[in-house]
Amino acid sequence: MKRWLQSPWLTIRVQLALGVFFVAAALPKIVDPPSFAHMVYNYRIVPGGMINLMALIMPWIELLCGLALILGIWTAAARSIIAAMLLTFIAAISINLARGNAIDCGCFDPNPRPKSRAERLDDMRFVIYRDLGMLLMAGQLWYAARRDD
Amino acid sequence: MNVRRFLLEAAALIAAAVICALVSNALAGRERKMALVGVYPNAQKVPAQATETTAVTATVVTPPVTTSSAAQTTTIVLPATVTTATAAPPKTATTTTAAPPPAPVPAAKKTADLSRFAIHPDKQYVEIHYDDVKSLHDAGVLFLDARRTSVYEQGHIAGARPFSVWESDIDDKVRKLYDERPDEKQQAQPIVVYCSGGDCEDSHMLAQKLWGIQFNNVYVYKDGYPDWVAHKGDTRAGSNP
Repeated sequence: MKRWLQSPWLTIRVQLALGVFFVAAALPKIVDPPSFAHMVYNYRIVPGGMINLMALIMPWIELLCGLALILGIWTAAARSIIAAMLLTFIAAISINLARGNAIDCGCFDPNPRPKSRAERLDDMRFVIYRDLGMLLMAGQLWYAARRDD
Repeated sequence: MNVRRFLLEAAALIAAAVICALVSNALAGRERKMALVGVYPNAQKVPAQATETTAVTATVVTPPVTTSSAAQTTTIVLPATVTTATAAPPKTATTTTAAPPPAPVPAAKKTADLSRFAIHPDKQYVEIHYDDVKSLHDAGVLFLDARRTSVYEQGHIAGARPFSVWESDIDDKVRKLYDERPDEKQQAQPIVVYCSGGDCEDSHMLAQKLWGIQFNNVYVYKDGYPDWVAHKGDTRAGSNP
């Protein structure tokens, strides 16, 4: 099991998949920053003055880290930043789930179709599981890198 | 792992992202561009979850203790004594040369009684529903659409102007509106703002901006554009009101 988790065969696939996920998530937000700012606002966590900056910068961080993983450059830094972002997303969604604030996560589409409150809450639970899955992928990359160190 | 190298790589990735973000925002078109620092007074206030029921009476919303103005004008709140000046029937001919054409409302309807839509300087906005909105629309009152411009162009209430709170030129538009209506009497004319209804708050945010520069007779169409369409209200498509 340990050998399999650290195998280059698995690592390269996980790295590519995680990179593609983040590039795909970044592009719609880069194309339409005001809609993503609206999504960030809906989380009711970020101070008002930071919302636009966050909506502008975060998608580019996602894009560059995703590209770094795909291209295999600066992978340690990229996977660490991605893991930190995933933890932040999970915390943000969990906080809103706990306080009953049904929101669209805005993860891959900053212009989602209108949904009912129940649909949004279901989506939020799914997003937490999905992000946990991606966090496990980042964990595998970190674990495999230990073999190389 | 070389910690110093790791930190340098991480810092370089983030710095590159910041530069890309700033450059892309600088090069973006009007609809995609954003102010680097936005003004969102309720950014950390969790809204009460909307229910499916519709209130019959208007809802009055009082302002928070601290307010901020999006425009560069002052945030003076008019004293309560000015409430003796009830809202006069609007004169839609107050537009400047730079303003879009006035709403296509039949002239005969402009004499509608709007005395019940009195100014409320101590409240940011009053939420109203279709019947009141229809009365105000028939009277030729100014309507502002707080949704994104691209959505506005797909369809909007006839006569409404695009005032998306998420686009970079919102402060300029609000300032221009103030320039169009510089005196107290003009500012006392009702203004209706709307977005997509439901839990959409863009209209409330726009109302807060307007209230912040002394427009003290602002009404939020709570159920928004979908409700207007459902009632078969007069609509337009395209970039003109």
